[in-house]
Amino acid sequence: MEDYKYLFKVVLIGEAGVGKTCLVRRFTQGLFPPGQGATIGLQIWDTAGQERFRSITQSYYRSANSLILVYDVCCQASFDSLPTWIQEIETYASTKFCGYLVGNKTDKINDKEIPTHIGQQFADRYEMDFIETSAKEADNVDKLFYTIAKKLSKEAKQGELTSDDTTKFNTDNTTSISNCSGCLKF
Amino acid sequence: MAAARTDATSVSSLDTVENLTDIDSIKAAFDKYCDEEVTINADLEKLIENQGRLENKMGNMHKVIPNIQILETDSKNLSNMVAFTSTLAENVSSKVRQLDLAKSRVTSCITRVEDILDLKFCTDGVQTALQNEDYEKAASHVHRFRNLDENVLRMSLTSGESDTLDNSFKLLHEAENKLKSIVNSKFDSAVHSGDSASVERFFKIFPLLGLYDEGLTKFGKYLSSQLSDSADKSMRLAEAMGSEDKRANVMYADLATQLFEHIAKVVEVRQPIIETYYGAGRLFTLLKILQVECDRQSRKILQQFKTKRNFDHVVQQVQQSTMFQKQPASEKYEPKGLDILLSEVVLLNTRAELYLRFIKRRSTNDIEAGFQNDVDIVKEKLTDVDTFLDNCDLKRLMQELIGSYILMEEYFMREMVLKAVSMDSLDTGQPTSSMVDDSFFIVKKCARRSLSSGSVDGVCAMLNHACTVLEQDFREVLHSRIRVGFPSDQYLHVAYNMVQSSLQQGKLQSSDTEKQKTQFLTTLNNAEASCEYCQSLKTMLEAEVSKSFHQSSEHTKAKLESCLSDLGAAANRFKDVLEFGFTQLQSNAVKPRVKPLADGYLSTSHNITEEDFSNFEANDPWVQNCIVQLDTMLAAFKISLTSGNYDKFVSLITSEITSQMEKAVLKTAFNRLGGLQFDKELRALVGYLSTVTTWTIRDKFARLTQMATILNLEKVTEILDYWGPNSGPLTWRLTPTEVRHVLGLRVDFRSDEIKKLKL
Repeated sequence: MEDYKYLFKVVLIGEAGVGKTCLVRRFTQGLFPPGQGATIGLQIWDTAGQERFRSITQSYYRSANSLILVYDVCCQASFDSLPTWIQEIETYASTKFCGYLVGNKTDKINDKEIPTHIGQQFADRYEMDFIETSAKEADNVDKLFYTIAKKLSKEAKQGELTSDDTTKFNTDNTTSISNCSGCLKF
Repeated sequence: MAAARTDATSVSSLDTVENLTDIDSIKAAFDKYCDEEVTINADLEKLIENQGRLENKMGNMHKVIPNIQILETDSKNLSNMVAFTSTLAENVSSKVRQLDLAKSRVTSCITRVEDILDLKFCTDGVQTALQNEDYEKAASHVHRFRNLDENVLRMSLTSGESDTLDNSFKLLHEAENKLKSIVNSKFDSAVHSGDSASVERFFKIFPLLGLYDEGLTKFGKYLSSQLSDSADKSMRLAEAMGSEDKRANVMYADLATQLFEHIAKVVEVRQPIIETYYGAGRLFTLLKILQVECDRQSRKILQQFKTKRNFDHVVQQVQQSTMFQKQPASEKYEPKGLDILLSEVVLLNTRAELYLRFIKRRSTNDIEAGFQNDVDIVKEKLTDVDTFLDNCDLKRLMQELIGSYILMEEYFMREMVLKAVSMDSLDTGQPTSSMVDDSFFIVKKCARRSLSSGSVDGVCAMLNHACTVLEQDFREVLHSRIRVGFPSDQYLHVAYNMVQSSLQQGKLQSSDTEKQKTQFLTTLNNAEASCEYCQSLKTMLEAEVSKSFHQSSEHTKAKLESCLSDLGAAANRFKDVLEFGFTQLQSNAVKPRVKPLADGYLSTSHNITEEDFSNFEANDPWVQNCIVQLDTMLAAFKISLTSGNYDKFVSLITSEITSQMEKAVLKTAFNRLGGLQFDKELRALVGYLSTVTTWTIRDKFARLTQMATILNLEKVTEILDYWGPNSGPLTWRLTPTEVRHVLGLRVDFRSDEIKKLKL
């Protein structure tokens, strides 16, 4: 952890079964091999969606630099629950945070229930960035985390007024908040 | 090869010899041939020398030839003999092999005969044993028979005997089935009549009949019903307990403990029997059945706990109070009431964690002992155990409970800290006010309580919340008090009239600014203490965490470490508050007070006569007064500040003095005596400030001291005795330009001389 110039905490939230764990796994297995001279660290906290873990996950909101709210494009219920999550974020997160809305499971084209423009609309209303991903096909997963890391480091630099230097991304160090990985598999 | 080449050349050279025309070339050719002749002669002589030796060797060889013929015949004979022996050996060994085969056939024949005899013996034995109700014996006969290979036995028989054997098999199969149903029904009736000895007796018979799972399932159910009975009894007893009983507050935790201990005891007692009669690796089958009952009983206990403790209602109220934080304190749920409840919740979870770990350990050990040779099976079975335990009802119930616990503990912590802040008071003689000790006491208490729950996620969540409360809520209190600022002296003059008028109206008390000052300084001390407490809280929790969770996975440890490190970050936030406080203090208290001192210096002439100088000896013009002023000011702050903060304050003042003095000195004109005067003044000042702090302050005065040195020179060029290669241990803090500037302050130094200096 000490090797990073910046270390950002990113917390993934959303209903159980929307594929949060798969997103993290896809990302950490994927593109950015650890151990390169890294200046940016993304510490990704994967949370459990179940109600009974809610008070645990809430405690992580405040220290998060970014929150990723995930829903399943094939599951209307997971989209309908978004306002509740937003309310929760507003209650517990610090005022300044960078939010991302993610519609996951775009690989199941035939089962898609929430059209892209509806997701985009929702994100716009709450001033969040929006992206659709497929953890299964690794679509847009790296883009999502890459964009977040870039945005956060840009903000941090502006805050510090330091000169621009090359940034590399290191993304191991993933820690999951809850051990109930079983319930996230579909 | 060499000869061939010589030939070739000689042939070609002969051709050329024929064509030679001038005498010189002919002479040269002749010389060359003469030389060649000499060499060839030498070679020939060497060869002739060898002739004798070669002839000797040839003679020797002729003598050996007859011996070789004898050798050949001998070898042929030997070869024949070896071939003969080999055939002989092969013949012998094939006979041995035949014998061996015959022997093994005899052995297996004997085994078969014995098996058949056994079979007959078993057939007879089972009958008698069954008649005598000696089920163990009957079962052991069946067990023996089950180990025989029926098909092989049938094959090896002649048709004449097959009737009797068929009969035996039929009888034994009948007996086996009969025995199975007998054991089953006997076991059931023993359970029914509560005859534990018989239960155990028949439990041991099941594995002999191959009924491993049936036996363990039935036994598990029997043990479960016993568990259920005793749990019901404990519940009744507990509920009859008076509320004044000292265990009443943790009654349900005690009930759960009893349940878990009962199961642990059952496992402890029965495991050896199971290992002996069922073999290792089957314990988990029984534990799964017991867990079902454990889940049922735990649910019951928790249900009662929630009803009797009004749990859901309390949770709801806390939730509401959290949601509407702005509501008046009187309408909020009283946090103190949560204390006892939270302790019981934590205890419940501790026991459950302990119990689940016990079950896991026992299962793991048993599986590892049972399938020592197959790593894959062990792995697969252990995953089964983990999945089962992670998803059992007890685990889920506890997760729900911990979820509510975090909610309430956070509320308790935040509200109690708010209370501590609102009840803040300052005891005279104490540098910090009560809210620091109180708040950190509460945060520590809550963090440690969560630690004692044994729930990793609970601990992490509470560490996060502790950071929030300290870094956000508590720090904000300190910060806002600092922001008010230290009442500045300029402000005082303005305020004075206002205060006067207010006093007349009876609105303000004269000590208001004093109060404000004290509050500011106390807050400064509070910030310093908070920073320190935060660090030591982190250190203490780190030690406790590593003690409590040293067996946990790396993943768990990393999680805890991450949450703990946030606490370290919180300490730094307090440091920021402290720094902010000191910048406030510098602009409002230090600067305005040091300014007049520097002004006083400026108004004292340093271009003085001998007479002035000796007069100053008796009647100091500036420095004594300056020291008195400083001393009064420092004394006032010393009482109000912690030693750390006081040192920092002195350091701040020193920096301010040196920077203002430097400016003043650079505006002053000196003569030689004035320089001497300044040197005396500076020594007095440094001497005084050294006595009031443990820090070394001489370093801060380095530039001023060097200025004094320059101002004390006899003549301009003397500076070169101290400069450059002559500086010795002295490190100059003044630049050459500054040195020239200071030299220029001396009215008696000529500027062209200063300009000529090579620095």
